[in-house]
Amino acid sequence: MIQMFHVTKAYPGDPPVLVDINLDIDKGEFVFLTGPSGAGKSTLLKLMFLAERATRGQVLLAGRNVARLRESGIPFLRRNIGVVFQDFKLLPTRTVAENVGFTLDVLGTPRDEVRDRSLKMLRRVGLEHKADVSPLKLSGGEQQRVSLARALVNDPALLLADEPTGNLDPALTVEIMDLLTDVNARGTTIVVATHDATLIERYQKRTLRLEKGTVVADERGAKAARLMSQTA
Amino acid sequence: MSVASKLAYFGRTAIGSIVRSPFVHVIAVASLSLALVGFGVARIARAQLDALVDALGGEVELTVYLAEDAAPEQVAELEQALTQRTGGEVHRISPAEALGRLATQLGEDGKALTELPQNPLPWSLEVRLPKAARDAEALGELSRRTRALPFVTGVDYGEEALVRLGLIARALEVASLVVFSLVFLTAVIVVSATLQLAIFARREEIEIQKLVGATDRFVRVPFLLEGLLQGLLASGLALGALVGLVRWLESSAAGPLAFARLDGQLAVEWPRLAGELVGIGCALGLSGSFIAVRRFLRV
Ligand SMILES: Nc1ncnc2c1ncn2[C@@H]1O[C@H](COP(=O)(O)OP(=O)(O)O)[C@@H](O)[C@H]1O
Ligand SMILES: [Mg+2]
Repeated sequence: MIQMFHVTKAYPGDPPVLVDINLDIDKGEFVFLTGPSGAGKSTLLKLMFLAERATRGQVLLAGRNVARLRESGIPFLRRNIGVVFQDFKLLPTRTVAENVGFTLDVLGTPRDEVRDRSLKMLRRVGLEHKADVSPLKLSGGEQQRVSLARALVNDPALLLADEPTGNLDPALTVEIMDLLTDVNARGTTIVVATHDATLIERYQKRTLRLEKGTVVADERGAKAARLMSQTA
Repeated sequence: MSVASKLAYFGRTAIGSIVRSPFVHVIAVASLSLALVGFGVARIARAQLDALVDALGGEVELTVYLAEDAAPEQVAELEQALTQRTGGEVHRISPAEALGRLATQLGEDGKALTELPQNPLPWSLEVRLPKAARDAEALGELSRRTRALPFVTGVDYGEEALVRLGLIARALEVASLVVFSLVFLTAVIVVSATLQLAIFARREEIEIQKLVGATDRFVRVPFLLEGLLQGLLASGLALGALVGLVRWLESSAAGPLAFARLDGQLAVEWPRLAGELVGIGCALGLSGSFIAVRRFLRV
């Protein structure tokens, strides 16, 4: 699903943020991306949804080399990628259902269908009863579920989450993580960036550890959990 | 995926944006309307001037004086030549007829004229020109050519008035071109400023649209539509205002433009004026939004 070969990312005038990254994430995998703050996790995710381009090296998404992708091709690629953030990025002036429907509006989906599919998606995250209120009226956990619903409503092949539980207390964190596990079980590839060691210990998924812009460990299952207790 | 649902979405987005921040849009529409009303007034005034020139032009005649020794056959020949050349109506005025007219014009004093042993007036030709030939330049040219014909001693026409009217018309045209360039430019700047605000107000929305895979065009079109809607709205308002203004002028007998009223009706070609207002309004609105989108919408 995602392959990177010798990827370097540098912003002009600064030392490189990512250095010689090599990775291969298969279709259907669930991967944690961890490491201290400033290690480059968010930047690596940005390369995956093409908010940024690699300075050097190759990035392949679903087998396509994105270096050769023209700027105008990016939107079409993004329609197959869902993204959620720590701060949810919901629009306070729109209802919950309208926020979810945004993903479908962009495709030119008829209004009724947008409404139907948004409600269906909200039911999946347990928020159908909040469809017509402002996201401002929801708790943090609920807002993140809305943001997940928006990312998933068009059934993307890949879901990227940047510190999705960073603003949530432990109970709500579990709620979101269980949802992600469920989405992954249905076949969506998931990459979650987090610096929360307890998550990694609890869920025991493949874990890539970044430090100062390079991948320093790539472990699976119990080993991943141990990796965290050693270095965290 | 349908074009129709996309268009519906664009429409809802543009109207939603106008509804959500009415104040800035009121300013933009007001500036556009004012510019368009100004344009409409100038257009209508120009039409009145044209009508006035036409009306005066109706009295424009070329009077060609002939030499005393011109024989009737030669006069007839000239008459034919002028008819051909001008496409107008040519009347032959005999010395007797001319003397009669002069006597009538002079009244009591004119009586002495009939006492003259010999008629001192020459034959002359009066040419009523067709509309197309009634501008100052064409008349000047015609009189120069006519003067060069044999037996012609002089040519007279309402030269002064016509030349002056022509100059006024041209000066007004140039002045209105300059004024309206400035007025329209200002309106475009105001529209583009309101669109800049709209873009700023929706920056989060734009960010999310891009995140979920909106094309650049999809993000831009609602803003362009917003400018277009402002233009449409403004041209409708301007048209309404102009209709009101013209009704008022036509109905108030001593209105400020009463002198220019020809028969209680202003010469306004409404369909054409409406077309121009809508066309210009939309063009101004679109230009303003296009500039804003170009300069401020980083997608
Ligand atoms: N647009 C940018 N310009 C310059 N430096 C940046 C930019 N974005 C991120 N960085 C730098 O890249 C490094 C990694 O950032 P980031 O990927 O956000 O790390 P993480 O998500 O792991 O905390 C940081 O040192 C940050 O300052
Ligand atoms: Mg980060």
